[in-house]
Formats: sequence, C-alpha cells, structure tokens
Amino acid sequence: MAINTRASLHLTLLALLATGQVLANDLFDSDSAMPEVLTATRLKQSPAAVPGSVTVLDSALITASGARDIPELLRLVPGMMVGYRNGNQATANYHGSNVTEARRLQVLVDGRSVYRPGLASVDWTDIPVAIEDIERIEVFRGPNTVSYGANALMGVINILTRHPLDSRGTRLKTTQGQRGIHDWFASHGSAWPDGALRLSLSGLQDDGFDHDQFGRDYRDSRRLNRFNLSASQQLDSRHSLDWQLAAKEGSNQRPYGYTPVFDAIAPGDKGSDVKARDYAGSLRWTLDLSPEHSLHLQSSAQHWQRKQVWRACEAEVALSPELGQLWDLNPFYVVKFGDYVKQLKSDPGTAVLPAGTAQEQTLAGAVLAQLDGGATRPVCGDVSQSIRETRYDFELQDTLSLSDDLRLLSGLSYRYDQADSETYFNGALSNHIWRLFGHLEWQLGAHWLVQGGAMLEDDQLSGSSLTPRIAVNYLITPRHGLRAVYSEAVRSPDMYENNVDWRYRVRNLQPQAFGQSSATYFARSRGPGNLDQEIMRSRELGYNGSFANAGIDLDIKLFYDEIHSMISEPLRNDRFFPNNANRMHFSGVETQLDWQLGHADRLRLSYALVDFSASSHLDRPLTARHSGSAGWLRDWGQGWSSGLFYYGADQLNQYHFERLDLRVAKHMVIGTTALELAGVLQQRLDDEPMTWQENRHDQRHLLYFSAELDF
Amino acid sequence: MHYSWIRYWLLFCCLSCSLPLRAAEIILSGAEDNPAIRAFSAALAELRPLDRVRFMPLAQLPSPTQIPADTRLVLLDLQALDWRLRTSGPPTLMLRISRLHAQQRLGNRRPAHISLLWSDPAPARQLRLTRLLVPQAQRIGVLYDEHSQFLLDELRRAATPLGLEIVGQAWPDTHDNRPLLALLQRTDLLYGVNDEDLFNPRTAKNLLLTSYAQQRAMIGPNSSFVRAGSLASIYSDRQDWLNSLNQLLDQPPESWPRSAYPAYFKVRGNRQVARALAIELADDARLAQQVAEGENL
Repeated sequence: MAINTRASLHLTLLALLATGQVLANDLFDSDSAMPEVLTATRLKQSPAAVPGSVTVLDSALITASGARDIPELLRLVPGMMVGYRNGNQATANYHGSNVTEARRLQVLVDGRSVYRPGLASVDWTDIPVAIEDIERIEVFRGPNTVSYGANALMGVINILTRHPLDSRGTRLKTTQGQRGIHDWFASHGSAWPDGALRLSLSGLQDDGFDHDQFGRDYRDSRRLNRFNLSASQQLDSRHSLDWQLAAKEGSNQRPYGYTPVFDAIAPGDKGSDVKARDYAGSLRWTLDLSPEHSLHLQSSAQHWQRKQVWRACEAEVALSPELGQLWDLNPFYVVKFGDYVKQLKSDPGTAVLPAGTAQEQTLAGAVLAQLDGGATRPVCGDVSQSIRETRYDFELQDTLSLSDDLRLLSGLSYRYDQADSETYFNGALSNHIWRLFGHLEWQLGAHWLVQGGAMLEDDQLSGSSLTPRIAVNYLITPRHGLRAVYSEAVRSPDMYENNVDWRYRVRNLQPQAFGQSSATYFARSRGPGNLDQEIMRSRELGYNGSFANAGIDLDIKLFYDEIHSMISEPLRNDRFFPNNANRMHFSGVETQLDWQLGHADRLRLSYALVDFSASSHLDRPLTARHSGSAGWLRDWGQGWSSGLFYYGADQLNQYHFERLDLRVAKHMVIGTTALELAGVLQQRLDDEPMTWQENRHDQRHLLYFSAELDF
Repeated sequence: MHYSWIRYWLLFCCLSCSLPLRAAEIILSGAEDNPAIRAFSAALAELRPLDRVRFMPLAQLPSPTQIPADTRLVLLDLQALDWRLRTSGPPTLMLRISRLHAQQRLGNRRPAHISLLWSDPAPARQLRLTRLLVPQAQRIGVLYDEHSQFLLDELRRAATPLGLEIVGQAWPDTHDNRPLLALLQRTDLLYGVNDEDLFNPRTAKNLLLTSYAQQRAMIGPNSSFVRAGSLASIYSDRQDWLNSLNQLLDQPPESWPRSAYPAYFKVRGNRQVARALAIELADDARLAQQVAEGENL
C-alpha cells in the first residue's frame, strides 16, 4: 500500500472546506449528541426576577415542621391566615376576608386545580395527596389570574409532588399519637430506562377538637385513605408523558347539622357526618419542538363526591307546603309570622297577625290552622346535603423563547364544571369556561426585566373578563432585585353564589307529615343568577435578595390590594341574598428570611403586618394585624436532627394564637435500610380556642411519634 | 509481506531524505482517519513549518521499535496507545485520553517515553472556576462509580488549598435517583467528573433537571454538558490542543511530563442557566483569564 501524502492533503482541505469548523472541533468535543436540557423553555426566573412574591416550602422544611397536613404548613407563609371551621375543615385565607368562605385562593396539585367548582371551597382534608409525597409547595402571594385563571384572586398555592424518578424504593411510615392520631403511609417507586412510576397508599385519622365551649364532646374527627399513582415516561428525545391517578375515601364527622325552629324537639341523629370521595386523573404531554420552543397539553378529570345524609327532627309545620309558598312569596313575612306565633304562645292578647298581601295573609291563615291542628308535633326524616361535582380541564401551553432575552408563554384552556345536587341545585348545573392567556418576559440588558400579560376568560355563567398584569424588576445584581407589580384579577361567582337553588327534600318521614312520607322543608334559597365577578386591583413593591456568602435569602413586600364588587354573603339557606355591594382593602408589609448558618443550622422567619378595611362585618374578624413564624432547623450530627417552630397571630378570627412545635428525629442506616424515628411536641402558648369558640382541646400540648423505613 | 516491505521503504524515504537535518519528524497517528484528524494534522504542520508533520493511519505504521528514536509520535486514540504500549519506541505524546481510560489500561503505571495528555478538565482549574462563579459553595458534590472512584483523591488534593470540601457519592445505578438527590441535598454544587458511564447523553437530562430542581448548579464535566445545561466548564478546543502540543514539541522529549493537562484552555459558560440560578457570569474569555491567573499564583 502506497502512501500518497499529496492526495491526503487535498482530501483534508476539501473536507475542511466542505464540513467547516464543526467537524474539526468534534475531535475534542466529547459528545456532539448531547441533548439541550436546561433550555430557555425549561428554566424559570431566579427569585430576584420573579414578578411577584413567592414563598417556597421545601422538603427539608416540610419534614422538619412535623406537620401532618398541608394547612399546618401554610402557617409558614407570611400573611396566610390558617383557621379551622372544625377539626376536619381547615381554611386558608391570604390576608383575610370571611373565615368560613375561603374561596379566593387557587390551589393546584401538580398543575391540577382542586378548588371545588360547586361550593367554591378547598377541602384540605380531602385532597388526595399525602404530605409524604410532597416535594415542595410554592405559594404565589398575590393575584395571578394571568397564569392560573380566575379564582387566583388573592394567591396561588401550588403543591408539587415528588417526581416518580426520585421515588425509587420503598417507604413505610406510621404516625401515632394523642388526639387519636393514627396515620400511615406506604410507597413504592420503580424506574426503567425511560420512565418511572410511584404508587403511594396512605391513611390519616384523628379526633379533631376535643370539646366545644360548653364542655361537650365535639364531633369532628376524620378518617381517610388515599391512593396515588404517578408515572413519567420519556417517549423519545422530544416527547414525554406524565400521568397520575388519585383517589381518596374517608369520613369527616360533623355535629348534628340542624337547629329546629321549635326548641323542644330532640335531635334525630347523633351527627351529620360526610362521606367524602375524591377521584382524579391527569395526563400531561410535553413536546420539545426545539430548545427554544416547547408545547404542553395537560388534561385532567376530577370527581368530588360528598355524601351527607342524616336524620333530622322538626315540627311538622316546617314541612307545610303553605309555609313553603309563603317563604317563596316573602321570607321576611315568614320571619315576622314566626315572631307572631311565639307571641301567640306567650301573650295571646297582644299578638297581631303581621300585615301583608291578601295572598300572604291567606297562606298565614292556613299555616295557623295547621298549627292549631297539631302541626307542632315532631316528625323525623332523612335530610341530604349530598353533592357530586365533576371537572374536565384541558390546557394547551406554548413556551417560545424568541431570543435569549425574550420569552413568550401563551395558551388556551377549556374547563367544564358540573355540580349535581338535589338539595343545592335541584339537579345538575354545568359551566363552560374558555381561557386565552399570554405572558411575555423581556430582559432589557443586565438590570431590567419587564414582564406582562393578560388573560381573557369567558365563563358561561358569569360572563367575560380581561385581566392584565405588569411587573418591572430591577436587578441590582442577579441576586438582588427590586420589583414593582400592578395586577388585576377577577373571581367569578361560583355556582353556589350565583345559581344555588337550595331546598331540602325530607324523606322517610316518621310520622308522616300532612299525610306524606316525603316533603320539602319550607325555607329555601336561590342565587340571583346575575352576580358580577369580583375585581381585585393589587399594587406591590418588593425586594428579593440573596446574600450568598452569609447564606441569607430575604424577601420584603409592601402591598396595597383592593377588592371591589365583593360577594361577602356566607352560604346559607335562609335569607340568602348575595350581591356585589361589598369591598375590602388590604395594605401592609410582609417579609420572609431564610438563613443557612453553616452546614448544621438553618433559621427561617416570616412576618406579616396587615391593615385592612371591609364594608361587610363578615369580612372583618379574621385578619390578624401581626402574624408570623420562626423556625430553627438543626442537624446535630450522628443522625440527630431537630426542628423548632414558633407560630403566632395576635388575633385570628378574634382569637389569639401562639404555638411552639418541636420535632426531634434520629436517622439510622442499617445496611441498605434507613430508619427514622421522630417525635413531635406541639405546645399552645395560650388558652384560646382555635378560630371559633367551639374549637377547643383538653390539653395545651399534643404529642405524636413516627417511624419511617426507607429501603 | 510485500506490503510491509513497501511500507518500511516509504517510511525510510520519508524519514531520511526529505527534511533538513535539524527538523524533527512528527507523526500523528490513530486508528481513526477522518477529515477532522487530517485537518488537525495539517494545522499542526502549519504551526511547525520547520518540522515534517504528517498523519499516518495506525494500520500503516510499523512496530514502534522500527520507528527512528528521534521521531516524535503524537497518538490520537486508544488503539494507537495499545499499539505503542506493546514495545518500546520513540517519544510519544498521547492525546485524547481520559484519566479513566488510562486508569483502566495502565493503573498507576506510567510507561517510559509516553506522555499522557489528559482530555479531562484539570480539577484544579475546574475548582478555581467553581470558586469564581459560586464563591459561597463549600461542599462540592461528586458522583462516582467503581471506575471513577480513584478520581476523588486528585480532586481532594486540588480542593484542599482552595478551602473546598469534596463530598463523594457512589452512583452505581444511574436509574436510581436516590444517591443523586441525597448528594444534592447535602452539598452546594454538583461537580461532573469525566466518567462517561455517569455523564452521557442518556443521563444528562435527569442529572441536569434534578440538579436544577434542587437549585444546584452543575460544573463540568465538559463543554457539551454546558451546552446541555451545566453552568460552566473548562475545556480545550482544537486550537488549545495545537498550542499545547506546539509548546511541548518545542521542548526536548526528555523534559516532557509523564502526564499533563493541556497548557491552553478555555471556559464555556451557560448564560441562561446562570441567569436562572442568579449567578453572575463574566464572559468566557475573562473567566478563562481569571482561572489562568490563579494557576500562576
């Protein structure tokens, strides 16, 4: 074989000309087949560049807090007012408004909204996710309908579960303690070359509060079981699929849910417990068209089922068709008529039938005749507050990086909500919601970042709305940013507020009422059907900084928020006349600080000072002027760790709240198995009830222990 | 036999007839022969007009013992190294060899007259770069498997003077994220070593997404990973290797080191990743200069 050097040289030059520098560089470029992973479409803004205030509760914090459920964790979020209607009905309001109607926060689990469409509530106890499966919780403090749709009026709580790929192996955990705490958790994750899957089963049980203000046993325990399946599959280099299935079943105790008009009538049941079942499935398909362009389609289906049937006793007259007709004509006349009947009993000489129309007086006369005929006798029947709600949600989102400094996020979504309840809606009611949204991020040089967007929403039941949002961030350095944000947001009146048709059909009556075994309770309420959306205008100035050398992350927020056209009426079935007449404003300052002191210690502080005014007295009691938390996490070495947390609010729904929580844990590794034993002590530092006067515990302290195996 | 004879004859002609006496005969060789290699050889020839620089495919080379001792061999792949290791031969500069490959072939042995020029980024440089970019990072997380565990010693030696702590974590199964997560949770940054079993196009997505989810930057292991989403890395491109090679070829072979990192290098940083992690990233040339300045201290 001859060596033809000349030929080689020619070939080389030709090749170089033909292929350019790329091939030549490949000689020392280890892998040209490397995919681009952290692309402009996958990266998010740094904390200093976020157009708003965000609190992140990471897994270390979640574990160290010792919290057993999500609302307890939310006490770590500045400005979050966490309360309890009873032991199994937690409420979370950002800054305030009516404590029982926590309907102005959007709550998402892995992008799926768990805000119930029918009754405008979040059932924290019934969300089918175990705290052990949560990787982190991101709380966007402020309105953000542009990104999250209507109902993200005052904030967004985004619960993110652990990725299946990070869940390999088996975890078994049990928690036992005072107040009837019996929790368990079992999870197994497996992975294969292009995918991973996690199955989690869990349960939770406790007794809730111990007694009410009269020292009587309080019926508010809860018991639930959950199932979660989460999978992720990389279909090829561009397509990936994530899907989840979740289910929850359980029982939430409620005290006897009926107060009779006539005092002498005994309760017909020991309670009015709710059997709650939640089902959810979601599918997310991501397509990376290029490093600069990605598309995702998320769809979910959810079903909420609340079965609440109990036996209630009342005077027969409450089921009188004539009294019902009178209520429909004029509920205020019925109230006056009630006073007249009482007067008749105590002082018949002065009692005068209230003046009214001829029809009102005729009906009143008929009811009086029924009372004379013995309609004060008690009758008992089955009362239902059951409801089934269904939601289908589709969202297509496009992320496009137009240049290194310009990113556009846009999308389209459709949601179908249905609520089915004989009691609340006299059947089924549905709603169709279309959304179109766009959000632009524009980095102007090294220091300025402008982010703005808008959402156009069309809600079949409450009309259309356009909400804008604009934020300007000035980055002093990449780690220190000042921000100014203006945003508008809307909350659509929920099905209940606008369209309720609430009437109780009482069945299996014994003895029969007016010869019937089923009858309709006289009081009923209807939504007006013409409620407008609530409008919020929010202004915020903030600073976010990271002092990397000192390990300090600091965020400060000054805010002024106004809600107009506010619907403040609580959900009730007598004299329910919701309107858009109310307004509220909040102003104040919030701060959070996370300080990593060396490898072993971490301090975390949060504080909120909130001033407010509210036109409705119902929106006034909740807001604490001063509230906050302080946490100290320490790794003592040799597997020992501790978390000490203080939570305080000067008055939460007019009750002072202060608590100290201590969690001490010992982590041991035996071969390939890790065992963690932990004890949690919660000590109330005051003797106040929690949120409502009936929410009381026998003791100021609570102790529970957990053991977790990981292999 | 016939072909071998012609080969030796041609080689003899090449080596003895065509160049001035002082000029050196430099043969680049490797089992691979492609335009990139030819271009590299041509570029080296251009840099050294007084020498006779040529590329000869490995298949055309005789046994190393039959190559004159004053020839300098520049080998470009592992097959060429295996060929060279069979017997003694002329002074050799071995390019494109990683620490891991050398360990697998040679263990701690360093054969005479062979100078191994590592394709890995020099740990000291990579760590200086780390300190420049993320000065608060103290605990540097390093994933390794049974093949790459030996790299930790050199890393620790490089880390100590910089006041950094190397925290190693075995990652025997790249489908199991638990070791990666455990490491990210107890360290400030992930340092990628040049181990293709752990850091390759199949593992890149998971490594980078998991690190980013934990808000941890990744440094290295090479420039391809920076394109993929690693924060930054030291690397040497074709020009750096030509310059490094040129510098060594100017020296008598007796003074060549048994092993060395290239004298010339660059830095590649990922600006978008830096922005998302709130890390200030000077331009690549400035960073390379700062890293190099640290070298002279």
